[in-house]
Amino acid sequence: MSTSPEILQSRNLPTSRDENWKYANLRPLERVRFTAASQRSPGISADALPTPIEGYARYVFVDGLFAPDLSNALGQPGVTVEAIRSVTPASDTVGDMRFALLNEANAVDVARVVAAPGANCPACIEIVFVASADAQTAASYPRIELQVGPQAQLGLIERHFSVGSGANFVNGAVTLDIGAGARVDHCRVQQTGTQAIWFDTLSASLARDAGYQLYLINLGAKSARSTMHIVLRGEQAELGVHSVSVGDRQQVHDAYALVEHAAPHARSRQSFRGIAGGRSRVAFNSKVVVREGAHGTDSYQSLRGLLAGAEAEIDVRPQLEIYTDDVRCAHGATAGKLDEAMLFYLLSRGLDPETAQRLLKWAFLEDVVAKIAVPELRRQIEASLAGQMNDPTALEALAQ
Amino acid sequence: MIRIENLHASVGDKKVLNGVTLEVNAGEVHAIMGPNGSGKSTLAHVLAGRPGYAITAGSVTYDGKDLLALAPEERARAGVFLGFQYPVEIPGVNNVYLLKAAVNAVRKQRGLPEVDAFDFLGLVREKMQLMQMDDSFLSRGVNEGFSGGEKKRNEILQMLVLEPRLAILDETDSGLDIDALKVVASGVNSLRGPERAFVLVTHYQRLLDYIVPDQVHVLVRGRIARSGDRTLALELEKRGYDWVSDQAA
Repeated sequence: MSTSPEILQSRNLPTSRDENWKYANLRPLERVRFTAASQRSPGISADALPTPIEGYARYVFVDGLFAPDLSNALGQPGVTVEAIRSVTPASDTVGDMRFALLNEANAVDVARVVAAPGANCPACIEIVFVASADAQTAASYPRIELQVGPQAQLGLIERHFSVGSGANFVNGAVTLDIGAGARVDHCRVQQTGTQAIWFDTLSASLARDAGYQLYLINLGAKSARSTMHIVLRGEQAELGVHSVSVGDRQQVHDAYALVEHAAPHARSRQSFRGIAGGRSRVAFNSKVVVREGAHGTDSYQSLRGLLAGAEAEIDVRPQLEIYTDDVRCAHGATAGKLDEAMLFYLLSRGLDPETAQRLLKWAFLEDVVAKIAVPELRRQIEASLAGQMNDPTALEALAQ
Repeated sequence: MIRIENLHASVGDKKVLNGVTLEVNAGEVHAIMGPNGSGKSTLAHVLAGRPGYAITAGSVTYDGKDLLALAPEERARAGVFLGFQYPVEIPGVNNVYLLKAAVNAVRKQRGLPEVDAFDFLGLVREKMQLMQMDDSFLSRGVNEGFSGGEKKRNEILQMLVLEPRLAILDETDSGLDIDALKVVASGVNSLRGPERAFVLVTHYQRLLDYIVPDQVHVLVRGRIARSGDRTLALELEKRGYDWVSDQAA
């Protein structure tokens, strides 16, 4: 029988020997079937989906196939959404595109979102990807191609979750082309089943004065890995990557973000808050590259991990590569346990140690979660986080 | 209410408390003064149960119980309150939530039901008025972005809401301007009563103009070098700590 690296190499997929993949759990890929699901699995009703967010048009894909009956396609001003059976190959092949190419080769229905120049749709589109096929039967290849015209404003929610056994193989790809002066708020929530294998590649390009705020909430899956490649191509472009990951049991959550400053005076902010409980591994690896000529770059990475399990693992690694002068780049990374002074403060007020610890974990995540600008979505995410942390205290705190 | 006998404590290899003996009765206010590094804050933290101190000898009896055998949260629920010199900021934990959780922890201990959220908010607002804190405080994170003075007021607010039996205030006056000092002092005075005791740790006699103590103790090198009534504080102000230190040497 072939060993894992051989199988992956034969498909031109990375192995754990690759520097940027060493924290990912690639082993489950040995047993998946890469063939795309070709038939909608029956019996999924709208009730099984997360509560819709008011004002957002909902598009649902089941195992990568568009499900019009589950969708609620409100007309949105200046924005068109099509589910089409034609993949536009990414023009960008600079980053690590290996899983993206696998998606390109297999994706069935593509969610193509086009915002016309000047379109104003800050609360706009919600795309829900449901995985139902068992990984040994068929794979799911969600795909979003997003084109945002100059000066347009777009709010996008993207959710991934499972129905059924939750033993799915999902390999998604998202491409965003954000025009000059356009603004995109993009919330991604990964809540697939505890047995799911979830891989994902996101590539984004920002033109002059464009703004892109990306929120990534990682909760589900047995093995999840996000690969991001974001290029600030235009002057004064502004990027925020806000990521939260909570792992428990034997989950592995890994993310790799490559942010390229290719134009002067662009700004990027990355924050990551991860909690690893049980025997889980939670990793965030981020690399900022400042290209020649990108003077006036302003970049900050704040990566923090919290160990909450005796056998858990946290890996946070900020990296910088700078090829020009006159830049402001900084990073901060911590991985450790709860702050002793905070803990004692709460105990000295009579809180029991367990409640105090839960409260502090919650506070740690809220640093990022509180930035999600859609109140209803934030509430749903907070409830899910509380559930993931098995934390009634947090739910109580939410009711305040 | 609390009897400290021959208490010795160290941090790592360093002996900080070298035989403190002190008794504070219900209804009394005691001030503990002393130069930097004399062990004042250590004493306050040891009484509240902060980890990191080794108690090498002595005992502390609170209401007839061995205080040192209780966990920090058990001490708090038994009515011991520490007002911190440097209160930590806890972004993401809401002020009101902490207050409510703290009050309910005490109530649970006593077999009482949780406070009614509406009544509780009314009580907190009333105490906030006394401490001259505005409403925005309610929704903020614990001490998050507070100035030094606001943090100290927040400590006193927590004390007012929790109504402890023994309040140990660690340099609550440091970093306060005269107006804030008066507010803090009036907060403390409003809680004075026959069933309660206060231990005020302070550098300066200024605080004692507003909170008049029954007894003043001077801590030098981890021992009480001198005790007296409030006139001792005035004398210290005039003659400096060296006067007591020299006598203690």
